[in-house]
Amino acid sequence: MNLKWKRFGENSLFLSPSIILTAVLGVYPLIWMLRYMFYDYVGYGEPLFIGLENFRRVMRDGLFWESVGNTFIYAGGKLVITLPISLLLAVILNGKLRGGNLLRGIYFMPTIISTAVISVVFYTIFNSYNGMVNTALMKLNLVSQPVDWLGTKYAMFTLILVAVWGAVGNYMLLFLAGLQGIPQDLYESASIDGANAGRKFWNITLPMLAPVAQLVIMLAIIASLKGYESIMLITEGGPIGKTEVMYLYLYKLLFPVATGMPVEQQLGYGSAVGFVTAVIVGAITGLYFLLSRKMNKMY
Amino acid sequence: MNEQVLSRRPERKGDKSTIGLDSGRAGRIVGRTVMWLFLLVTAALTVFPLLMTLSGSLKTGAEMMTGGSLLPAKMQFSNYAEAWRQANFARYTWNSAFISIIATIGSLLVASMAAYVVDRRQFPGKAIFVTTQASLMFISVGAIVLRPQFDLMVVLNLNTTLWGVILILISAHSSTFFLLLGFFKAIPRELDEAAMVDGSGFMRTFFLIVLPLLTPGLGVAGLFEFRHAWNQYILPLVFTMTNPELQPLTVGLANLRYGSSAAMQIHLMMAGACLSILPMLLVYILANKSFIQVTSGSVKG
Repeated sequence: MNLKWKRFGENSLFLSPSIILTAVLGVYPLIWMLRYMFYDYVGYGEPLFIGLENFRRVMRDGLFWESVGNTFIYAGGKLVITLPISLLLAVILNGKLRGGNLLRGIYFMPTIISTAVISVVFYTIFNSYNGMVNTALMKLNLVSQPVDWLGTKYAMFTLILVAVWGAVGNYMLLFLAGLQGIPQDLYESASIDGANAGRKFWNITLPMLAPVAQLVIMLAIIASLKGYESIMLITEGGPIGKTEVMYLYLYKLLFPVATGMPVEQQLGYGSAVGFVTAVIVGAITGLYFLLSRKMNKMY
Repeated sequence: MNEQVLSRRPERKGDKSTIGLDSGRAGRIVGRTVMWLFLLVTAALTVFPLLMTLSGSLKTGAEMMTGGSLLPAKMQFSNYAEAWRQANFARYTWNSAFISIIATIGSLLVASMAAYVVDRRQFPGKAIFVTTQASLMFISVGAIVLRPQFDLMVVLNLNTTLWGVILILISAHSSTFFLLLGFFKAIPRELDEAAMVDGSGFMRTFFLIVLPLLTPGLGVAGLFEFRHAWNQYILPLVFTMTNPELQPLTVGLANLRYGSSAAMQIHLMMAGACLSILPMLLVYILANKSFIQVTSGSVKG
């Protein structure tokens, strides 16, 4: 009995910091959100219970759904460019290549740099008037007029480029880890049977990589839907809401001061938007999971 | 793409005509060229913004304003001194270092203690604990959590110090917890049992025998935690909005864009960006292997 209490004491001592911090700063904020999404609450005064009114408002909120659409364009664009480049780099670097380690180090470098800092940098170098990208393009005679990289036409494209820049190295490394798990003798016996590089890629590399790729793509989808830091710093969602994504829209509801707009913070409505946003991300992740599992079975 | 696999194979002669061999070789040379072109262009695009930051940090304000050349006419190392002293970057750097170091140590301590008990012992509610940690890694409700967190810190009177930010960073220790859990599994249980038999207490066994063996795990988890804390932007932004003296590098740098003389300060912004990238870059160069090891490990399972 004594020993049992002693063990209980030891367990509690070691677990309590984690449990307390997780409960207070991890779980409580979620419960807070689940409560206030049913209230009309602007941060002061008495919160007013309004039932499902916030959700009705979300359904009618054109700006929010526009931001959802933009999120899909942003995330989709980022994934479509990032994943093939990452996979290609991984396949190349998986072979014994002179300077391979150095190249791997260079490609992975963006992942250690703060998104905020590099966004400030991109903000200046993509500046249409005196940015270095336009300076370089005009020096090379590729364009005759400065390109308005952050204007209505190209802003989303520029933001996707910034996101790709920061992500390629990370997914390259994850793919590389998957590739290193493929037994080399498969390639050797394929060679003996006379298979060429293309056939080996389609018939060995891709199917053998599938389980890892499934996980990597899921991580990539979640990360690309969640990212809004660089958008906040480069375009702030503009021009005219063209690059507003759902998490940035949510942020602006909660911290309007930060964006320089004299609007009231909307904690109740923000909670509902936060909940809907999390459900959207969860649904996409779940859908992908189901689809990719089906695909895996087909192989 | 897989030329390297091909080239390792000894060439088999005789089963192809001479013409076939020649076109095969020519094709391989073209393939190699395209491959290297792709590798080098990607590498160039990766370093381009960093080189532009470095170059910009050494230009004069006027040079940055007019665009002009890609390289500075004359290296303005004084930009760094100016950023450090006048633009308050000394303060920002100190704040960043303070947040990152304490949050790293804190998370490692909290996560390793929890992971040790979860790995070595049975206790009621263990499944709930582990499930909660796992789900917190995947639920993403965005900035909404910052509001109740901020209110809590006001109640605890921690909103005027950096401890609020630090506590929130430590509270998000799920990934560190699971990473360390994996490392604990590799340390044999017999070892701590033997130590206990020899009369070493629970705390003593953990801190003096098990933890030293966990050093590699703590090292890599610490690197990730440090990077995470150092690169944070939105969390410290919300907490230090009204308190410039508490801002870390990321927030201080981003705020330079709003200054009245923002346009004239781009060279200082670039110098500040270099200052904030440099420490992480040094850590990366020293610990490159560990970064790559852990990132890869996350999908190997």
